[in-house]
Amino acid sequence: MMIIAQIILTIFLPLLMIGIIRKLKALFQNRTGPNLFQPYFNLFKLLKKNQVISQDSSFVFIISPIISLGLVIFLSFLLPWLPFNKAVFESNIFLVVYLLALLRFLTIISAIDTGSPFSSFSTSKEVTFAVLLEPAVILSFLALAIFYKNTNLFYIFSSNQTVTLNQIPVFILFAMSLFLTSIVEFSRAPVDDPNTHLELTMIHEAMILENSGLNLAIVEYTYSLKLLLFLFLMSSALAHCLLIWWHLSVFAMTCLTVFIVFLLLILLSFIEVFTVKLSFNKIPNFIAYALTFSFLAVFSAIVNRS
Amino acid sequence: MNIIDFFSLTGSCFAILMLGSVSIRLNLWLYAIQTFFMALSTLSESFKFSNSELAIISLVIIIIKAFFIPIFLNFVIEKIKVKSDSGLIFPVPIGMHLGILFLGFSNLFTLEILKSLPEIHHSGNITAGISLLFTGMLFMLLRKIAVSQIIGFLTLENGIFLLGVSITHSMPLIIDLGVMLDILVAIMICGLFIFKISSSFEHIDVTQLNELTES
Repeated sequence: MMIIAQIILTIFLPLLMIGIIRKLKALFQNRTGPNLFQPYFNLFKLLKKNQVISQDSSFVFIISPIISLGLVIFLSFLLPWLPFNKAVFESNIFLVVYLLALLRFLTIISAIDTGSPFSSFSTSKEVTFAVLLEPAVILSFLALAIFYKNTNLFYIFSSNQTVTLNQIPVFILFAMSLFLTSIVEFSRAPVDDPNTHLELTMIHEAMILENSGLNLAIVEYTYSLKLLLFLFLMSSALAHCLLIWWHLSVFAMTCLTVFIVFLLLILLSFIEVFTVKLSFNKIPNFIAYALTFSFLAVFSAIVNRS
Repeated sequence: MNIIDFFSLTGSCFAILMLGSVSIRLNLWLYAIQTFFMALSTLSESFKFSNSELAIISLVIIIIKAFFIPIFLNFVIEKIKVKSDSGLIFPVPIGMHLGILFLGFSNLFTLEILKSLPEIHHSGNITAGISLLFTGMLFMLLRKIAVSQIIGFLTLENGIFLLGVSITHSMPLIIDLGVMLDILVAIMICGLFIFKISSSFEHIDVTQLNELTES
C-alpha cells in the first residue's frame, strides 16, 4: 500500500513541482503565469514529436538519458524522502553519493557526445562546479552518518528515533547545505537562470541543447524527479527536527513534509525573482557557503555524538 | 547538549559566516544576530542558576550591543559611503573555512580546559567563547576597512564575555556594566575617528594608514 502511494507520488509529483515553481515566480512578478499542469502538456507534446539526432553522435547520446532515468528511479527507492517509505534495498550513504556522481557523469558524457560547441562549453562549466560541490554533498551526508554511527539512511531518518537537542543542529545544517547544493546542482537562480536562452551563459539548458522529442522528455523528467528527491530529503530533515516537541503520526509527518516542500519552493522562486545571476567567477564563493554549512554539520555531529 | 550551549554555538556559527561576507552591512547584521544569540545563552544561564544579575546583564547586552552599536555603525558607514570590504591575505571563503578550523581547535582546547576544571558542565559555551576570540582576531587580520576592524574587535569582546560568564558563572553587576559602557564609549570614539580619517585621507584603508606623511 505504502509502496503504491510512493510510486504514484514519484510519477505525478515532479512535473507538478516544476509547474508550482513557474506559477509562484509568475505570481511574484504580477503575471498570471502558465497553467499549473503546463509541464505535463509539454511532456506529452514532446512525446509526440520526432527525434532529431545529430549524425556525429553515437549510441551514448540515445542511451544515457534512459540510464540516468533508471538511476534516478533507483535513487527514489534508496532515499528516505517520504516518512512512510520503507527500505526496499539496503540504502547506504556512499551508494547514494556515488550514484549522484554517476548521474552527473552520464549527463556530461551525453552532452559531449553531440559535439556541439555550446554543450561542450557548458559541460566544462558544469564539471568545474561539480568538483567544488562534491565535497559539500559528501560531507553533509557524512555528518549524519558520523552522528548516528550508521550509514543506512533509512535508519537515520526513521521516525521512531528519539530526537534530542543534539540532533537538531546536524539536521538543520544538513538541510541548509543540501539547499545551497541543490541551487547549484539544478542550475537555479543565483548560479544560472533557467529562463535565459543565451547559450554562452546558461549551464544546464545548454547541455541539453541537442536533445529533442522523446530524449528531451526523458531528460526533463529526470531533472524534475531529482529536484523532487532533493527537496523532499531537505524537508524530511527539517520535519525531523520538530519531533523534539511533538510525536506525530506518519500521516501528519507526510503532510508536514509536503508543507515544508511547498515553503522551500516558495523560497526557491523568491530567490529566482529577486536576485540576479552571479558572474562566473563569483560562483565558487557561493559554493563555499554550501561547503561551510557541511563543515559545520560535521563539526556539530562530532561534538554532539554520544 | 543543552539550550545554553545551543544558543552560544549558534552565535559562533553566525560569527563564522561573518568571515565569509564582504558586505559591511551584512556583517553588521550578522554581528547583531550573533550578539543576540549570546545574550539569549546568558539569559537561559541566568534562569538555570536563578541569577538575576546575569538576566539584567543579558538585557543590557541586547539593548546596547545587539541594537544600538550596529545601528550606530550603520549610520557611520552610510555617512562615509563605504559599502564593501575586500579580503586581505586569503580569498574571502578560505577565511571562512579557516574559522571553522579554529572552531575545531577551540573544541580541543575546551577538552583540555575541562580536565582541570571538572565543576563546569557547559563545554559548548567555552568552545563558543574561544572560537569567537579566534574569529574576531581572524576578522581583524583579514579585512582592509577600519569599520571591519571595529566589528572584529566587538566579536572578540563577545568571546571574552562569553568565556568569562561560562567559567565564573557571574561577575559582579557593576563590573559588567562598566565594561559595557567602556565598549559603548570606545565604539563612539572609533566612529568619530573614522569620520575624521575618511574626511582627511579620503579612504579608511588600514593597509595604507602606515604612511602618514603626504608625499
